[in-house]
Amino acid sequence: MSGHDSKYFSTTKKGEIPELKEELNSQYKDKRKDAVKKVIAAMTVGKDVSSLFTDVVNCMQTENLELKKLVYLYLINYAKSQPDLAILAVNTFVKDSQDPNPLIRALAVRTMGCIRVDKITEYLCDPLQRCLKDDDPYVRKTAAICVAKLYDINAELVEDRGFLESLKDLISDNNPMVVANAVAALAEIQENSNRPIFEITSHTLSKLLTALNECTEWGQVFILDALSRYKAADAREAENIVERVTPRLQHANCAVVLSAVKMILQQMELITSTDVVRNLCKKMAPPLVTLLSAEPEIQYVALRNINLIVQRRPTILAHEIKVFFCKYNDPIYVKMEKLEIMIKLASDRNIDQVLLEFKEYATEVDVDFVRKAVRAIGRCAIKLERAAERCISVLLELIKIKVNYVVQEAIIVIKDIFRRYPNTYESIIATLCESLDTLDEPEAKASMIWIIGEYAERIDNADELLESFLESFPEEPAQVQLQLLTATVKLFLKKPTEGPQQMIQVVLNNATVETDNPDLRDRAYIYWRLLSTDPEAAKDVVLAEKPVISDDSNQLEPTLLDELLANIATLSSVYHKPPEAFITRVKTTTQRTEDEEYAEGSETGYSESHVADGAASPPTSSDNVPYAAARQPGPAATPTQPAPAAPVPDLLGDLIGLDNAIVPVDQPSTPAGPPLPVLLPASTGQGLQISAHLTRRDGQIFYSLLFENNSQIPLDGFMIQFNKNTFGLAAAGPLQVPQLQPGSSATTLLPMVVFQNLSQGPPSSLLQVAVKNNQQPVWYFNDKISLHVFFTEEGRMERASFLETWRSLPDSNEVSRDFPNAVISSVEATLDQLAASNMFFIARRKHANQDVFYFSAKLPKGTPFLIELTTVVGNPGVKSAIKTPNPEMAPLFFESIEALLRV
Amino acid sequence: MISQFFVLSQRGDNIVFRDYRGEVQRATAEIFFRKVKFWKEDGQEEAPPVFNVDGVNYFHVKVVGLMFVATTRVNLSPSFVFELLQRIARVIKDYLGVLNEDSLRRNFVLVYELLDEVIDFGYVQTTSTEVLKSYVFNEPIVVDAAHLSPLGPAALFMQGTKRIPGTAVTKSVVANDPTGRRREEIFVDIIEKISITFSSSGYILTSEIDGTIQMKSYLTGNPEIRLALNDDLSIGRGGQSVYDYRSSIGSGVVILDDCNFHESVRLDSFEADKTLALVPPDGEFPVMNYRMTQEFKPPFRINALIEEAGILKAEVILKVYAEFPSSITANTISLQMPLPKYTMRASFELEPGAVGQTTDFKEANKRLEWNLKKAIISYHGFYIVGGCEHTLRARLTFSQETHGNITKESGPVSLTFTIPMYNASKLQVKYLQITKKSGSYNPYRWVRYVTLSNSYVARL
Repeated sequence: MSGHDSKYFSTTKKGEIPELKEELNSQYKDKRKDAVKKVIAAMTVGKDVSSLFTDVVNCMQTENLELKKLVYLYLINYAKSQPDLAILAVNTFVKDSQDPNPLIRALAVRTMGCIRVDKITEYLCDPLQRCLKDDDPYVRKTAAICVAKLYDINAELVEDRGFLESLKDLISDNNPMVVANAVAALAEIQENSNRPIFEITSHTLSKLLTALNECTEWGQVFILDALSRYKAADAREAENIVERVTPRLQHANCAVVLSAVKMILQQMELITSTDVVRNLCKKMAPPLVTLLSAEPEIQYVALRNINLIVQRRPTILAHEIKVFFCKYNDPIYVKMEKLEIMIKLASDRNIDQVLLEFKEYATEVDVDFVRKAVRAIGRCAIKLERAAERCISVLLELIKIKVNYVVQEAIIVIKDIFRRYPNTYESIIATLCESLDTLDEPEAKASMIWIIGEYAERIDNADELLESFLESFPEEPAQVQLQLLTATVKLFLKKPTEGPQQMIQVVLNNATVETDNPDLRDRAYIYWRLLSTDPEAAKDVVLAEKPVISDDSNQLEPTLLDELLANIATLSSVYHKPPEAFITRVKTTTQRTEDEEYAEGSETGYSESHVADGAASPPTSSDNVPYAAARQPGPAATPTQPAPAAPVPDLLGDLIGLDNAIVPVDQPSTPAGPPLPVLLPASTGQGLQISAHLTRRDGQIFYSLLFENNSQIPLDGFMIQFNKNTFGLAAAGPLQVPQLQPGSSATTLLPMVVFQNLSQGPPSSLLQVAVKNNQQPVWYFNDKISLHVFFTEEGRMERASFLETWRSLPDSNEVSRDFPNAVISSVEATLDQLAASNMFFIARRKHANQDVFYFSAKLPKGTPFLIELTTVVGNPGVKSAIKTPNPEMAPLFFESIEALLRV
Repeated sequence: MISQFFVLSQRGDNIVFRDYRGEVQRATAEIFFRKVKFWKEDGQEEAPPVFNVDGVNYFHVKVVGLMFVATTRVNLSPSFVFELLQRIARVIKDYLGVLNEDSLRRNFVLVYELLDEVIDFGYVQTTSTEVLKSYVFNEPIVVDAAHLSPLGPAALFMQGTKRIPGTAVTKSVVANDPTGRRREEIFVDIIEKISITFSSSGYILTSEIDGTIQMKSYLTGNPEIRLALNDDLSIGRGGQSVYDYRSSIGSGVVILDDCNFHESVRLDSFEADKTLALVPPDGEFPVMNYRMTQEFKPPFRINALIEEAGILKAEVILKVYAEFPSSITANTISLQMPLPKYTMRASFELEPGAVGQTTDFKEANKRLEWNLKKAIISYHGFYIVGGCEHTLRARLTFSQETHGNITKESGPVSLTFTIPMYNASKLQVKYLQITKKSGSYNPYRWVRYVTLSNSYVARL
């Protein structure tokens, strides 16, 4: 060939498409090939060349592999939009899958698997079956991946045609590439299925460990990752596995090394011999360190993983702290991670070296890095008692350089050091006070003010220092105002002289009348009342001893750490978040949006036939709906919107007059806890029994459902719909229930959204539900909404703001009810139980022989519920009173609390 | 498995885009570019190499100014993806000879063909140029290698001494030579990067060599190669801590902390005679990576001093000593030193008779730069020659009074350099043996050494 490809991008006067059409039908091979290249070029820059489909497909029957590949590339792109024409290509595909040239056979299977058109899928089965048993390993390895492709399109077909068995056979293939792909495909299928498909037995284990030695580096990673799910039977087996995996630590591919580390760490948990463990740690250290010589991106991954590993096994790199010293040309994200690890590895033995480094970093150019270095010094002081003094002297040295942000950062950490070692280092306060006027960041100011207030009796001019801040009180950020308020009160309590007395007047005035910050106002009122009623009590409260803080450099919770360690070498270990916090892969079957469709925003393109055919898929691709977005990393994300509505005229939407989406069934998910109340008994449901109730987990409302099929026929195509209700509850995603065989059952957690589907009229706890499947009539049943599922995690109130709110509400908003049969037998259990329902304990008061408990709770949108429970502990009879801006909700609340107290 | 792979230019243009699974929206390239460009999270202004936006995970590496990006929805191994992205860049470079925006655009059909063989349904199939040759049929259109920023450390040899054919590095492994004949040759490069931190008193605080033995073979018929390294090479510090390894100084033994090998390497006789045996696949690849913290003689010593010299004034004295034999020449040496933020002006005084040295005060980031590029010692030579010493004096003028702490507010001094035909670790390829096919078969063998600075820093 001649020239270069960019010429294919050029346009001509004649009009591109007709010209291309002509060239595609040329009698000359070379001309046709050039034309196809031009078409592909147009396609890659986003031009629509789908109208050339037939002409391009006509070029498919060629012996020229280069040309064939180009045509296939085109087909993958456009088959979706031209499904009928794509059928034209089927014959050639099937023919190609029997071509004498293995490359062509493989190419045909590979491409067919990428064309997600139902009709093509049917024709794929026979060629795939042949290719899985092909003589050529290149064809077999391509076919193995193709099974995963087909499973993604039509899982049932894969299972019915026995492809899973063929795939399992390939694990014993003599070609390592085939083995690796079979493992990868099985692992993916397992991931998307809840039946055990790919179980690793000790037999597969030994086969795969053998294959490991011959695989390519990538295959080694597939295999190691698949094997990491294997639980060794005992210490001996674990040792055997480790022995065979250890040589992988010497691989030049960092991914292989990290996957091997993961495997070894996992097996180490089972190994009892301390010698073996120590030896393994020794073996793992150098390769882990060597990862830090790789590209910065890999260094970053390695550092995030090492951060976890040293939390579990601190000895492993205890002597290697020097390799974590920052290089001047490290990217900032690497430097930041190195600092974290340096803090973790800092010990009495190496602290001098470490401090020398930190001191150096604290004078570098990058502000964020400098700040973190200063904080690191403080954290070392808090962590290592014996080194605290040295750390403080380094901080003082840094303060003397008078670089503004260094000073401020230093003051913030020194405040923490004071809290860690009370009454030890106060002699440096004078030095700190010198920098007072340079502070301009809220956190630093607040820290300094805290120090002045806390040690007011030792600072001769504490009143002057605080007074200098008072002038600007109204302009200060809330954080500083709160500290100023408390510090002034402390000063007054410690030195009740005239000056402070005047100051406290000013501050209280500013913090009550002049402010609209409720937190500040509440705190000020409490102080005011305390000071005016009982100054001694005020002293007990305000000047009480504070709990000593501790080192936070091992900040991960043990359970989270366990989970992250089990996920070493994955994204989870880099984000330091459990996989479910950021993985939103919801299996979509036939409904995958093609890129082009998405780009054009053709949301309406979800054809009705898909919904109606019962094989069922969500009315929207889970790839891009906001629902998926709402489950991105971050705690307690709540779905923001339900799936967009799809026009489905024939379904139960019409029957109960609903207007939002029918949510079809897809696949089951995790089961729920205690037995659910039966809402649709089998006797009513022609053998189908449904139990369900609303529940709240991690800040989100779910409808927990149990389906039991006691009928004689398999049931599938489940969909659910909720009638309009007081809270506008609606399904946030598809109901995921698999086909139910007679005698089997399935549970699912359906995520819910609120305020979607609001009914008018007085609040009611009634929730009307309709469930449909492909075999039976629509079933209706009623559920009761328990108000407490709506109580948010943000419902905790400060005592002060509780009182304030209580007072601000008129008495007419108070409603009460007696529950003569309810008993609080264990105060703790009840508090725990209510806290689990986001009713937060505020205070307890004795009144005669009765106990009075106060709780706060909030509905979404912030409606507060102030709750008072009066009872004699252990005796029947609980009186509940509530005060809320929304008293018409009271009956619902009482229903809910009665249910909770009864349990 | 990955969902998509794409290559973006510095401006964010899509040069290559391949979607393998259709499970992530196509707008990802745009989302990614905007996110990286305007990164501001966790108090950092540079995006980490992997992050999550709305459930899609983005991985990126920068290669010769291009961004190679992959996306996924699953909990994948990030090091796997980063290795893969680097490897894709390398494969494309093997094929195209030169990797840049232009060569990618001109060869897009070939690049797509490669991408289809490298990854199927998001799963890596192979990244071996050798293996790919059997499945890939398009031929590269080789772009002119001149004036292009090359890829990888071996590219150094392009600017290096005349002994090495400059075109070798930018030669495609598959393209036919214009002369119609392929030259039988093999390149073995020993590339070492040095990281050193000197304390203010000139004492070495940390030192490390990261080395690679890199190979690029243009031999036909895949003959077996044997590489013999130092007889007394030993690996692992045997559990010693970094604090006491210095006991080995002077023994002449090369002790590596750790090393790893390419999968084609057989280590059967490594223990016995320190010989690596391999059948080199086509394309460029690292035969062995190693790491050494054993004490070695640093090629340069730096002496830096800053002193107040009256009100609002200070003097900087920088000295560089080249501590390698005079038969070796270094090139592209550059010293940089951050100065106090309130520095207004700097005037420089070079040693008498200094030629080819340039000095600069970068106003924007308050940085002093001293370049000793080529041509230093009149006509005796045009590079820094081992054994010599150079001095720079600079007078600084400040806009405000110092806090008496100017040493803390300036520095550290960092040095960048390359020294061809020199390596600090003393690791050697003692011989490179090619299994002979016939008596007359005698391909060209190039064994080249180069040492570069990584983080070469002197504190004040």
